[in-house]
Amino acid sequence: MNKNLMWIIGGVVGLALIVGLAWAIAGEEPPDETAGFGTPTVTGTNLPAVENPNAGDPAVGMTAPTVVGTDWDGNEVAIEPDGRPKIVVFLAHWCPHCQAEVPVINNWLANGGLPEGVDMYAATIFTNARRPNFPPQTWLQRENWEVPTVMDNAENAIALGFGVMSTPTYIVLDGENKNLGRAAGEIGVGGLNALAAIAASAVEG
Amino acid sequence: MSDVQTLSAYNKVLALLTLVALVGAVVLIVYRLVKGPESARDLLGSGAIWLAWAVAAVATAGSLIYSEYFHFVPCRLCWFQRIFMYPMSLVLLVGAIRKEMVVKYYALPLSLLGLATSIYHYLVQVFPSLEGSGCDPTNPCSARYVEEFGFISIPFMAGVGFTLITVLLLFYVKAKEE
Repeated sequence: MNKNLMWIIGGVVGLALIVGLAWAIAGEEPPDETAGFGTPTVTGTNLPAVENPNAGDPAVGMTAPTVVGTDWDGNEVAIEPDGRPKIVVFLAHWCPHCQAEVPVINNWLANGGLPEGVDMYAATIFTNARRPNFPPQTWLQRENWEVPTVMDNAENAIALGFGVMSTPTYIVLDGENKNLGRAAGEIGVGGLNALAAIAASAVEG
Repeated sequence: MSDVQTLSAYNKVLALLTLVALVGAVVLIVYRLVKGPESARDLLGSGAIWLAWAVAAVATAGSLIYSEYFHFVPCRLCWFQRIFMYPMSLVLLVGAIRKEMVVKYYALPLSLLGLATSIYHYLVQVFPSLEGSGCDPTNPCSARYVEEFGFISIPFMAGVGFTLITVLLLFYVKAKEE
């Protein structure tokens, strides 16, 4: 092999390493690794985890935990038995399916998909500073997300409380926080309409 | 530096190495097309096998650092790529030391299958619906743990590594046969 060529290749690789290190060390602001986590209180009995709730949710009829926490601006968000049925979506910032589903939910809400008397909430779960699209609020604000959203803590208390095994996951709750059904994965407008119909059936009066 | 900053720096270094490797592979392919096979072989000679080994060794070390130092859990498709890449870091070294041309016939199937897996994994990242509709929180193949320059992810890095190894193996001729 031509020795000059070897030197050129070695030089380019070495230069790339040096430039990369210098660029990385000099150009990065230290990220706030606590951003994106909340300090929610989760009370009540955890719903059992289910790998694929679309195949049948064994926890239908069970009372879901009550969650009281905050969004990224410090506003209180409570998922509690307040007499109003609700749909809750659990999102992970690094999950491409969640990233695809958020604009779908936004359009569905803008087009009046949520029935009268039903509320919608979200929870950011499985937050991880070492995964992409961190922190979740930067992503959700970029998507003009206006759904009241509670941030999970680093111990995944909310995810564990609702038995979430994958993202996105939805749960429909009646006014007493009883689980009317969970769904996992991208469900699109058709799935959202199906969940809305279940929630609407629980609207009293 | 915090752990996240160290990871960010590491990602950037690997991304730059990936770009260097990608340019190298393209240059070699163009050189081969323009100058013909004989000139291409003369360009690198037996050094091609050492370069191929270096690529495999860096890729192997790179992936081990991700999993053992940064605690990334390899996803299912990452494991397949590891299966194809790791043996090459040993097989190519032995072949280079012994100057055995036959080594490329052992390594080429590994690099080609690895390349195919990397392409599929990259497609899964671009089109997540290829692998279901939801994310497993532990190690989803569709999530991009690394994204540099907007397109360089871990399977992209692996795919470039497999490509460069494949090209170098095709350039390889034993020194005494040159």
